[in-house]
Amino acid sequence: MTNRLNRVKSVARKVGGIRRLILILMAVSLGTTALLDFFVVEKIFGPLVYLYIALSTIVGLYVIYPLYAGRRLTKYYWVRVKRNRLAVWGLGFILFLILLALIGPFFTADPTAVSFEEKNIPPLGFTIEESVYEPETEQFIAKTITATGEHPLGTDNKGRDLLAMIVSGAGVSLQVGLLATGIALTIGTLIGVMSAYLGGKMDNILMRLTDVMMAFPFFLLLVFIVFIFGPNLAFIVLVIGLTGWTGAARLIRSQTLSLRTREFVMASKALGASDSRIILAHLVPNVISLIIVMATLSIPGVILAEAALSFIGLGDPNVTSWGMVLRAGQQSLDTTWWVAVVPGVMLFLTVLAFNFVGDGLRDAFDPRSAL
Amino acid sequence: MEKPILRIRNLKTYFFTRRGTVRAVDGVDFDLLKGECLCLVGESGCGKTVTALSILGLIDSPPGRVVDGEIYYDNVNLLKCSPEQMRRLRGKEIAMVFQDAQSALNPVFTIGDQIAEQVKLHLGVGGGEARQRAVDLLGEVGIPSPEKEVDYYPHQLSGGMKQRAMIAMSLSCDPQVLIADEPTTAVDVTIKAQILDVFQRLRETRQMSLLFITHELGVVSEIGDRMVVMYAGRLAEAAAVTELLGDPKHPYTAGLIKCVPDITKTRDRLESIPGTVPSLIDPPRGCLFHPRCDQAMAICSQEKPPLTMVGKGHTVFCHLYNGIKGNGEQ
Amino acid sequence: MVNNKLLEVKDLKKYYPVTGGLLARHLGDVRAVDGVSFYIKEGEALGLVGESGCGKSTLGRTILRLEEPTHGEIIYRGMDITKLDKKELRGLRKEIQIIFQDPQSFLDPRMTVGQSIGEALLIHGVKDDEERAQRVTETLERVGLEGQHALGYPHEFSSGQRQRIGIGRALILNPKLIIADEPVSALDVSIQAQILNLMLDLKEEFGLSYLFIAHDLSVIRQVSHRVAVMYLGKIVELADKDEIFENAIHPYTEALLSAVPGRRDPKKPRILLPGSVPSPLNPPSGCRFHTRCHRVLPICHEEEPQLGDVGGEHLVACHLYKS
Repeated sequence: MTNRLNRVKSVARKVGGIRRLILILMAVSLGTTALLDFFVVEKIFGPLVYLYIALSTIVGLYVIYPLYAGRRLTKYYWVRVKRNRLAVWGLGFILFLILLALIGPFFTADPTAVSFEEKNIPPLGFTIEESVYEPETEQFIAKTITATGEHPLGTDNKGRDLLAMIVSGAGVSLQVGLLATGIALTIGTLIGVMSAYLGGKMDNILMRLTDVMMAFPFFLLLVFIVFIFGPNLAFIVLVIGLTGWTGAARLIRSQTLSLRTREFVMASKALGASDSRIILAHLVPNVISLIIVMATLSIPGVILAEAALSFIGLGDPNVTSWGMVLRAGQQSLDTTWWVAVVPGVMLFLTVLAFNFVGDGLRDAFDPRSAL
Repeated sequence: MEKPILRIRNLKTYFFTRRGTVRAVDGVDFDLLKGECLCLVGESGCGKTVTALSILGLIDSPPGRVVDGEIYYDNVNLLKCSPEQMRRLRGKEIAMVFQDAQSALNPVFTIGDQIAEQVKLHLGVGGGEARQRAVDLLGEVGIPSPEKEVDYYPHQLSGGMKQRAMIAMSLSCDPQVLIADEPTTAVDVTIKAQILDVFQRLRETRQMSLLFITHELGVVSEIGDRMVVMYAGRLAEAAAVTELLGDPKHPYTAGLIKCVPDITKTRDRLESIPGTVPSLIDPPRGCLFHPRCDQAMAICSQEKPPLTMVGKGHTVFCHLYNGIKGNGEQ
Repeated sequence: MVNNKLLEVKDLKKYYPVTGGLLARHLGDVRAVDGVSFYIKEGEALGLVGESGCGKSTLGRTILRLEEPTHGEIIYRGMDITKLDKKELRGLRKEIQIIFQDPQSFLDPRMTVGQSIGEALLIHGVKDDEERAQRVTETLERVGLEGQHALGYPHEFSSGQRQRIGIGRALILNPKLIIADEPVSALDVSIQAQILNLMLDLKEEFGLSYLFIAHDLSVIRQVSHRVAVMYLGKIVELADKDEIFENAIHPYTEALLSAVPGRRDPKKPRILLPGSVPSPLNPPSGCRFHTRCHRVLPICHEEEPQLGDVGGEHLVACHLYKS
């Protein structure tokens, strides 16, 4: 047993650490599965699943683990974050959303279940009057529709339960937010750090690449993708992720540039550290705080982007997201207002929550802010 | 005997932070006599800058606050003045030169404009006259070709010149008292010499009282008439400069003087004071220096040392001298 | 080693090219270090003094090849280290180390003290965690701290303690030469004395050599055996410590010494240098100091004086003296 363990350890040592070993293994296995998926067998995993596995491994190994390994430091920062009440509220709301997305579907109806008899029911506490055409009397008579406990948030004009749709939307928003931001930030970090550390021609090339990407018409690309492949959530996530890394790359690059001249980097060089060691062991951990702050502040943008796309009809029709619900409710804002207002409020609160948390984290990480 | 133009009595400035109350200045008394140069001496964190800011009412509040004491400028208690009165006082009666000329000067205005702004504000003169005053002041602090440099932006000036420009700015309204916060600390030794020279000449030509804050004993010996030594927010010792540097009574002062490397000779080892400055949030009982003092007695950890006169104008806060009068009597 | 010279620097230059204009043309060079030669013996401390912009920090870093020299030789134990390739350079790291000035900035805030000090061991092949921890503890104790401090983060320590940590990090590979780049300039006087004593003790205990860079002349006097004075990228005077402080002959050294604050001898008025240090981009012709020199001669505008020996290994670069 120990023999096997030792062999693993020596292999790990050769590649540069256990974490790198796990990363390589994961990449290889995902890669082969993807190839099989594409060419040989039919659909082993949906594309979203690949993204999940890849991203959670990277985040787990390089963000979560360091936070655990440096527990005291993490605790020090956590204490500082707790002092910001708004940030704590934001964090609570996000946790609530996560719970809603994970557990909600077990307690709510199917968001896609259409039922014309139950259409246009208002949320609890409200009643509306609707003008209904009665074929028998050939007249429009006013009918009051009252809320029922079965549909606490009401229904839309196709009878779909709003609560269920909101719950589903929560899951969609979170997933899209986390995945797309994860992709964007991973790319942005690598490019930003490499660009800043290697400098010279490499820096130039990477930055010009970033400029090109920034000018890229993301929207056009999306319409194009939708046109070819049909609207699919995974593609939307990919497109947002692959085009949204530019801001992060620039900020991380400038942070790394200022770090590069800090004496501890020079000290490391003087001890004989290789470039890759300096990048991975010194520069990246010191930009992690910036990355975390950027992540929390970009997630709302991504969520809104997806909502906007669904709103104008480019979203995935098989997926119930808040944008889609908004779209369904936009026509009848004067009568069945809840269909648009509820997802709107949820979007608003979610964006607010992430922004508060991001601000709180930024203040906590900033050594100059006296807390 | 000159009259005091500034009298500080029992000044206490505390900073109320989440980690606790920082007693930055904890009961400080001294006088600044008219026309003299008083050096406020101590290491980082001893409270000298906070004292200066308290005099000018520039303490960031929150989290800081002057919680006790009186500051008399010409018989007016500054701590009882309204913000409006303080604003009129700052720059005109009492002016301050900061340590870092780089950040004290506004990079988007010429130095002439910055000086003229002060002049116009306090003396109500017009543009042309204000500019002329600026030129005169720049010349007074030794800036060559002031008519040209009055239109320079801070980034066009070297470190020493920026420092001089800042001094000129502080003099613009002929203040009675000039507070200089470590003006020679962050500069090279030749620039240090130039700046000290500027201050010396200013003292000769103007009837100005100078409160000079520094941690460099060499600077003190050169420019100071009297000096006050602070430690961890409290006073340790005060006397005329030659008296105190020649015959320091407080163990901290004596230790500090011994620590400073002597340029005239080499020693085998430097004396050093073991340990570090105590926390200002949770200070030790009794004398704040006692944990590091090699002459500490039992009483030092119990009671704050009282003021004792150990010579003419020479006061010390130390239990070693408790009750000993200036003439040696008990 | 020739004549037990541990390190010998010959005509070392470090220029930083300045480019500008649309096509990034080479406009000129910032001549940070412009032809510096000296040696350090084993077990000796050479003090390098000068004001900001004179190039002393750049010199220190170039010797370590943290900056690549533009010209010149750096001979360590008989070997020209400017010619080493990357792998050999790594080996050199075990011989020459550096300590920095700013305690706020020379330690990685996200690494524990133990990790910062132990990093050197990790880089040079000590993979066993326990061995590293043991050596880190030894080093911490040697610099006056305790083993348990290895678990702390930089922000939990005072400036003086951080400087001890910095010294520990430099020491753990058992170097023979340490470049000390203004190690006490950012410290309070009482802490400065502690650190200087520590450095002197370590020098005795380990037979270290120092290149001690500072701008405070009294600190230099305390620590050095010989002193070199730099101005605008060149050494203007180099002699035994007592010679420099009692018998300085270069006008710049005289001015530096007379500028030190303190009660003045009224018979020796202070020499105030006019103007400020010229730009290293465009140094004055002839002797670089001639624009501010109080004893300037006509020849000083034309010809640059070379560093020459005026007797007893007292080197000076000045037209006033024949070597």
